[in-house]
Amino acid sequence: MNSALLTADAPDVFEIGDFRAQNVKNGLLAPLDDIIAPVKSDYSKPALDTATVDGKVYGVKMMDDVMMLYYRKSLLSAAGVTPPQTFDELVQAAAKLTTGGRKGLFIGSDGVGDIGYLLLWSNGADLVDPAGRTATFASPQGAAAVAGLKRLRDSKALLEGFTTDWADPSAFNQNAVAMQWSGLWAMPDIKKRHGDDFGVIPWPRYTPTGTPAVRVGGWYELVNAKGKKVEAAKKYVQWLWTQQGELQKDWCVRYGFHVPARKSIAAQTSELTAGPAKDAVGLSQQYGHSFPATWNKATTTIFTQSLVKIANGKAEAAAELAAAQTKCQAELDKQTR
Amino acid sequence: MAATATGRPADTRPAARKPRRRRTDRRAVGAFIVLTAPTVLGLGLFKYVAVGWSFLISFNDARGTLSIGHWTGLDNYVFLLKDEAFRSSLWMIALFTAFIVPVTFATSLALAVGINSVRRGRAFLRTAFLLPAAVSYVAASLMWKMALFNGLPSGIANSLGGLFGMQPQAWLTDTAPPLYWIVIVTLRLWLQVGLYMILFLAGLQAIPVHLYEAAALDGAGRRRAFRHITLPMLRNTSVAVLLLILIAAFQAFDEFFNLFNTGQAGNASAPVRPPLVYLYDSALGDQNYGVGSAGAFILTLIIVTVTLLQGRLVGFGRKD
Repeated sequence: MNSALLTADAPDVFEIGDFRAQNVKNGLLAPLDDIIAPVKSDYSKPALDTATVDGKVYGVKMMDDVMMLYYRKSLLSAAGVTPPQTFDELVQAAAKLTTGGRKGLFIGSDGVGDIGYLLLWSNGADLVDPAGRTATFASPQGAAAVAGLKRLRDSKALLEGFTTDWADPSAFNQNAVAMQWSGLWAMPDIKKRHGDDFGVIPWPRYTPTGTPAVRVGGWYELVNAKGKKVEAAKKYVQWLWTQQGELQKDWCVRYGFHVPARKSIAAQTSELTAGPAKDAVGLSQQYGHSFPATWNKATTTIFTQSLVKIANGKAEAAAELAAAQTKCQAELDKQTR
Repeated sequence: MAATATGRPADTRPAARKPRRRRTDRRAVGAFIVLTAPTVLGLGLFKYVAVGWSFLISFNDARGTLSIGHWTGLDNYVFLLKDEAFRSSLWMIALFTAFIVPVTFATSLALAVGINSVRRGRAFLRTAFLLPAAVSYVAASLMWKMALFNGLPSGIANSLGGLFGMQPQAWLTDTAPPLYWIVIVTLRLWLQVGLYMILFLAGLQAIPVHLYEAAALDGAGRRRAFRHITLPMLRNTSVAVLLLILIAAFQAFDEFFNLFNTGQAGNASAPVRPPLVYLYDSALGDQNYGVGSAGAFILTLIIVTVTLLQGRLVGFGRKD
């Protein structure tokens, strides 16, 4: 889609999962503040943040994808552990749950997944400042938190090299792990396999003073600023994604499992008002974080490469993160100036 | 190529040539133009124009755009050469090349000599070893990643290791020791060795048998025959094969990309990234076409330099 935007054949209206501030700077996206204004308070802050550049909103959130930690109730009680509330408890639980052919925790086949972000958020650190212009992840809390990945890896309780990645519940469903980081979209499959023998919790707080974290992703509908019918396109987006509650519900739960981005619609969606699905919606509203619009592939790569180096014991956390932060800052500057 | 050879006499002063001869030359030139025009035009349009445009983009700040206009001089080149990640990718590919080129060369030569010396089942063996060359890097990478070297106790490598009392390993993510090299090297050898083996076999079969007979009569053993007949007679094949392996090594992309790609964050968590993966991430992942183009030209320059040097050293194209 991002490549198609460079051509004259780009569609008038399109959906995107990885919003890029660069496209705003290049004048490819139409601001949508006027069509969102009537219902703006019905969206969560993370839902608006990702598509906001310089105070203007460029995308209407269609659906939230909540990512959280799944655990098997029966396996935890058999091992005599309670759902972990802190990172220390998570490491201990993962170790206790590792027996025979089963590992304690799956966070991604690469042994990294999204855990870098979760560690930051769960220790009061963040990728960038609220304005999205200054990289901040090399703060003392950030450096302390990312060291957690090395602890997890060294514990040998982490499942690595599984044949599918964390977005897919196979590892959890095939009993290869007792706990897995995954998305709400995986819940119908998990329910089919494990019935009521599972629960969801946020990524536990890194230290007792931190806060738990879940990631909220999802999809946005955007309008091509260079399209032939910008006004008509905006009207269509407004009609479908801010007014048609029934269609939004239908789209979110019939063909997959997502949370309608508008809080009032989510509250009316019966599939999300009971059990773990309800917990997930609550977690997203209480602990949800999403990427800022300026966080792109380049910054992702710089940050993740540092994280891997630190986890592999090839670099010291504070110095490595500080170097990565400098490089990310240069990227952020290019996008916003 | 043949036509340039016949075309050349037309350029020299015609005094020494007969008119009849000149007419054939003109027709040859005409045929040359007609026959090569489609290819040249195609190449020009789809390769050289694109390469030229990419060269211009490499001097621009081109983020999320393929148009030029934000001229930044050598900024992209400076950025890349200063970037520790890009430099370490160049260093990594140099080490990888230094290792994989001799290993691929020796393995394919040994296989070719071995197969050439068996009397029965030669065709079968030849086909068996060549077959992997028809498999795509993507398919093979997925096989290596998911079936052979996955991190589960039930993975093939881990099952085999288990027979010898080894603990299950996370082959692609463990870095102490860096087991992923085993995965990468075995994959590349499996895919490449067959093709080079065929080239060597062709070279071997062109060596006249009487040379070996004469050597045998003179009392030379198989070792001496190999050193003094086979190797020198294979020189041209060897040089060509070396060149191909070298370029393929420098351009390594597919197996690194596919083995370490997670689908979620692409190759961000890969323990090693060769230059082409770095450039893919910049240009196609991040749509930073300026940096991507500049990197492509740096890499091309390196490959051309190394290839020319190697050609000088081993004498590519030198007449016997």
